[in-house]
Amino acid sequence: MKRISLAHGDGGELTHTLIQELFLSAFQTTASPMLDAAIVSMPANEIAVTTDSFVVQPLFFPGGDIGKLAVAGTVNDLAVSGAVPLYMTCGFIIEEGFPYADLQRIVNSIAAEAAKNGISIVAGDTKVVERGSCDGVFINTTGIGVVRHKSKAAYLQEGDAVIVSGSIGDHGIAILAARNELGFTTEVESDCASLSAMIEDVQHGTGGVRIMRDPTRGGLATSLVEICEDFGITIILEEEDLPVHPAVAGACDLLGFDPMYVANEGKVILIVSAAEAEQTLSLLRQHPEGAEAAIIGRITDTQSGELRVRTVFGATRKLRRLHGMQLPRIC
Amino acid sequence: MVPMDRASVQTADTARLITIRGRVQGVGFRPFLFALARDCSLSGTVQNNMDGIRLIVEGKEEDVQTFLAQLPLRAPRLSRMDEIQVQSMAPAGYAGFSILPSEAEGTSTLVLPADAAICADCLRELYDPRDPRYRYPFINCTQCGPRYTMIESLPYDRPATSMKSFAMCPACREEYENPLSRRHHAQPIACPACGPQLSLFSVEGELTEGEPIAETAALLRSGRIVAIKGIGGYHLACDAEDDGAVQQLRLRKQRPQKPLAIMAKSLGHIRRICHVTPEEEQLLLSPEAPIVLLQKREECRLSPDLAPGMMTLGVMLPYTPLHHLLLDELPYLVMTSANPSGLPMLYREEEAFGYLKGIADYVLSHNRDILQPIDDSVVQMINGETDFIRRARGYAPDPISTKRDVHGIHAAGSRQKNTFAIGRGKQVFLSPHIGDLSHLEMLAHWQKEHHHLSHWGQAAERGVIDMHPGFDMNRLLGDIPLAHVQHHHAHMVSCMEDTGLTAPCFGLILDGTGYGSDGNLWGFELLYGSAGSWKRLGHLGYVPLPGGEQSIREPWRTAVSYLVQTFGVHGVGLAMEVFPERKKEIPILYHLIERKMNTPLAGTCGRLFDAVSAILGICHRSTYEGEAAIKLSELVRFSGRSAAAYCHSLEQTDIWELNMLPMLEELMQDLRHGVPAVVMAERFHETVVQGAAALVDAARLPSHSRRVVLSGGSFHNPYLRTYIRQELEKRGYEVYTHKRVPCNDGGISLGQLIAAAQKGES
Ligand SMILES: [Fe+3]
Ligand SMILES: [Mg+2]
Ligand SMILES: [Zn+2]
Ligand SMILES: [Zn+2]
Repeated sequence: MKRISLAHGDGGELTHTLIQELFLSAFQTTASPMLDAAIVSMPANEIAVTTDSFVVQPLFFPGGDIGKLAVAGTVNDLAVSGAVPLYMTCGFIIEEGFPYADLQRIVNSIAAEAAKNGISIVAGDTKVVERGSCDGVFINTTGIGVVRHKSKAAYLQEGDAVIVSGSIGDHGIAILAARNELGFTTEVESDCASLSAMIEDVQHGTGGVRIMRDPTRGGLATSLVEICEDFGITIILEEEDLPVHPAVAGACDLLGFDPMYVANEGKVILIVSAAEAEQTLSLLRQHPEGAEAAIIGRITDTQSGELRVRTVFGATRKLRRLHGMQLPRIC
Repeated sequence: MVPMDRASVQTADTARLITIRGRVQGVGFRPFLFALARDCSLSGTVQNNMDGIRLIVEGKEEDVQTFLAQLPLRAPRLSRMDEIQVQSMAPAGYAGFSILPSEAEGTSTLVLPADAAICADCLRELYDPRDPRYRYPFINCTQCGPRYTMIESLPYDRPATSMKSFAMCPACREEYENPLSRRHHAQPIACPACGPQLSLFSVEGELTEGEPIAETAALLRSGRIVAIKGIGGYHLACDAEDDGAVQQLRLRKQRPQKPLAIMAKSLGHIRRICHVTPEEEQLLLSPEAPIVLLQKREECRLSPDLAPGMMTLGVMLPYTPLHHLLLDELPYLVMTSANPSGLPMLYREEEAFGYLKGIADYVLSHNRDILQPIDDSVVQMINGETDFIRRARGYAPDPISTKRDVHGIHAAGSRQKNTFAIGRGKQVFLSPHIGDLSHLEMLAHWQKEHHHLSHWGQAAERGVIDMHPGFDMNRLLGDIPLAHVQHHHAHMVSCMEDTGLTAPCFGLILDGTGYGSDGNLWGFELLYGSAGSWKRLGHLGYVPLPGGEQSIREPWRTAVSYLVQTFGVHGVGLAMEVFPERKKEIPILYHLIERKMNTPLAGTCGRLFDAVSAILGICHRSTYEGEAAIKLSELVRFSGRSAAAYCHSLEQTDIWELNMLPMLEELMQDLRHGVPAVVMAERFHETVVQGAAALVDAARLPSHSRRVVLSGGSFHNPYLRTYIRQELEKRGYEVYTHKRVPCNDGGISLGQLIAAAQKGES
């Protein structure tokens, strides 16, 4: 079997072949590969830049792989910031001995997901490290987008609706199951998906979106706590309105986890004006990724920054950031 | 003038300075002393001060002796003397007996009185057809009736109470102003002409026709559930003899197993359903009228669903005139607090109907507002000693006197079974039982109660909280310097304070879960020290709790963990035999334990009990706090001490560790041989007794004292309380248990406060 060796990363002949054969052909890069940096044109003066590293285990999991995750994660970060994704870079850190075919699969997955989202991969890097120095493949990305929609966070007000685009906790549970951490198999698949098209539709179809976040690590609760604290608003979630797949709920029950703290990779939280909440929901539901979108709570005041949840029994709890739950690498 | 003075000096051949601490203010104590001194031909003075009452009597020696003998016998029923100090002094030659103005002026000496059950005099009038208050549900006097629950502010005067909206009629006013009347300055004084009235509503809020008590009784007889507004909040009532009604109440309140308290018409009626010792009788009849846990009679004809799996029943006597009138119609009523679980007491009219929809059918209400809600107190007697399970109505907010200066210190208390404590001078005001602070509504309730009690108690200068990092309570006390006290140290200091110990001693703390200084869950601890400093000498070996808090709700998980700890991978198969319906989950739990995923370590008595309870098939899932452990302890509640203990082992590293895994091996053998659960329960209890006593013995150094305080919620378990004491005494230890505050987390705030006071002193 063909494997990646240290020589693939030494900058010599093998590196050149790898880049030509694998990366350039897959990514169809248009920017000049002859220079040390990619030269791109920007149709705006406000751009959004994001960077992320992907270290998920296993590299291939139900619902996706590290390549798709890297693109989707980057695209979503740009999209929830009001930007249209244009370019991205990809840095690979590859463990010596990694199967060439697996790398090919990952690269193809990146290419496919990038093409779907119209984002060009304009620069890259490859390093090969000694066996044991990394776990298969790590990927680092930088994404660049054009800002189309300015943040309307200043308009956050009492009564605004909190919407999540679908069921929560799928990615975290799928990864745990794929790692065999659960000791049981589950039909749960990762929700890993790029959301820029759906988000763009919502942005165009309604003017009421105040802010968006993608609730990845730390889950829905951690993202909302950050929103509450950053903007000094209090949100009350209704426990019974949270979309959770039964299999995720069952797994969480066994593990003693709260699905609100389990990671997602294809969900967006939107805070929208009360008047446009229903319109937003129907726009989301036109996309397969938003089919299960739901209003899960409201802003109740703009005096203090606190996230709360009303339980099915009518009592209210305060939610904090993820604390002390030792989850393995999932993103 | 001179001869007269000389004459009185001559008659006074002896004098005493007497200080009395306890509940002696605001209960008619000074007029009582005045009368007693006069009857004994003594002269002198009496004065309220910060600590209680300061009394000087002088006269003939034999009269002084009579006075001292009569003091406890004739004291007003609402008074309670915790400590009487008598000192001889030279006679000063008082001409008569006088009541002096209070020593320190201002609010600091003011005491908020506790609510009291209706007294015998008022009860007599209630049933006297010639009395103007015949069958009046709000009759009261200076020795009975609502107090704490209707007071807005101090000094305690009618305009500062929820009675302010009722203008006294001339007849009531005359009694109120007459110093010879039983109702002289009885602030809640009322009569049918001028006072509060009852109304019966459907839960939709429609007023019903007819006489409210008769109508309510008819509804209850027909199996309906009626919410009844009482002294400190709303109760849910139904006929305790009606199985269907009790089941319906459980269903609607979503409370499948938790014992329901009942109210019985009279002591005679209680005797028909429960065994009552003389001490228990005294408690039931006391002005505090708590719920007392009594041993059920086998022939008890009440619904078996009142307290499933329990040998005991929580029983109280009617404590308001309204209760008496109702219980005349139905002798046994379920009386359980109406609040939804996890939420504060239900006491405001405007909230009641909303909450009660779907739970109660009707609401028997009245127009005297409840300003401060308060739960019924719950107590049990163990070997003739009072064991507080919940300290609330009738007891709170009576101050607890201490020898330390605790002025301006506030203790936030624990997260579960919360009470808080406020220090004023040398008094500690312990709040009524607040409950579990997990929900924001409870935190808001805490703040409201704290604000109220601080207002007439003492504002906070410094605070003390638990050391748990995820606690919301550091903000509750506001912006003051905060000390942190470890949960089990607080338990220990609480018991030391409760029993008057200050020198270093052992603290054997058995309870559910508390945050330990190593980040693990503690709850079977041997500490040594005092209020100022302490050391952990030993503890129960840790087991992982797979799924964290989920294990507390689901004791079978802890059982699996113990089995895996004991038998390794073989324990998985054993667990599957014990819990066949959990076959799918058990390997997953094993996996969690192996991978250390969401499995905090715990060494607690409560979780050990949980595990054994689940293995014995007594309780796999706890539907209320501590259910599995409580039901296990009920099995042996009234059995003697005859069972042989299982094995345990003690291991010493830098600390002593009690290892219960040998016990599990033997227990599993017993289980396999079909030994009855009650025998295994007895053997298990005895193992805990032996293990705990052996742990103290093993850890003791020659320089250590031989005193041991027992604290933590597990000491509500009569077997542990009785026989751990016995076993330690046999080994030469002096053993101390709680007297005035609960051994459970309701006593934590007292311990925190005293520990903080010590820090301030040193
Ligand atoms: Fe405790
Ligand atoms: Mg990201
Ligand atoms: Zn009375
Ligand atoms: Zn009147």
